[in-house]
Amino acid sequence: MNSIHDMGGMHGLGAIDTTDDATVFHADWEAHTMALARAMMAGKYFNLDEYRYAMERINPACYLGLSYYQRWLAGTITMLVEKGVITQDEYEAQLDALKRGET
Amino acid sequence: MAAVDLDLVLSLYKTPGAAQLKLDVAPRFNLGDVVVALNINPPGHTRLPRYIRGKKGVVERDHGVFHLPDSRAAGKGDAAQHMYTVCFDAREVWGKEAPANDSLRINLWDDYMTLA
Repeated sequence: MNSIHDMGGMHGLGAIDTTDDATVFHADWEAHTMALARAMMAGKYFNLDEYRYAMERINPACYLGLSYYQRWLAGTITMLVEKGVITQDEYEAQLDALKRGET
Repeated sequence: MAAVDLDLVLSLYKTPGAAQLKLDVAPRFNLGDVVVALNINPPGHTRLPRYIRGKKGVVERDHGVFHLPDSRAAGKGDAAQHMYTVCFDAREVWGKEAPANDSLRINLWDDYMTLA
């Protein structure tokens, strides 16, 4: 897929940050996101290649603004809906509940 | 769908190199072969980046047999084929502004290449 993820050779993104950052996760949600994705793949709900393709399909303008694990999370949500683990309605209802502070 | 339990998840982390397939599949290329990366633009997933399409390189290492990601991402089966390290001269990829002695190595599957 020719999309924003395939950015090899692209100019204008600034210097590469080569700071040695040994921190694996910068927040709990990042660890939870990784654990969820690994568990879903272990359970064969989706495979790694499908998962990468889900991240590649993130809207290009949105993709550039997301952090590494935000892309993982977006890809996981896409997979969960496409594989029928949850429905789009269930996802949006839960999102609304979170926004209202109900969970 | 398999039930996901702790033992299953831990087993994944304790099994290195699980992606390599123990299948007897003939390689299409030999070490030293001069190859050209295909100019393909599939709407689906591929591990062949745009900047390498149409470029000429040399097969440097054969890693063995792996699933073709393009096929597996599309739910079209686990096509098993060889995956190689292919070396491209930096100037072949980026033009004369690239340093003369730089090169780029990239892992490519059988389906991504043809003999030059």
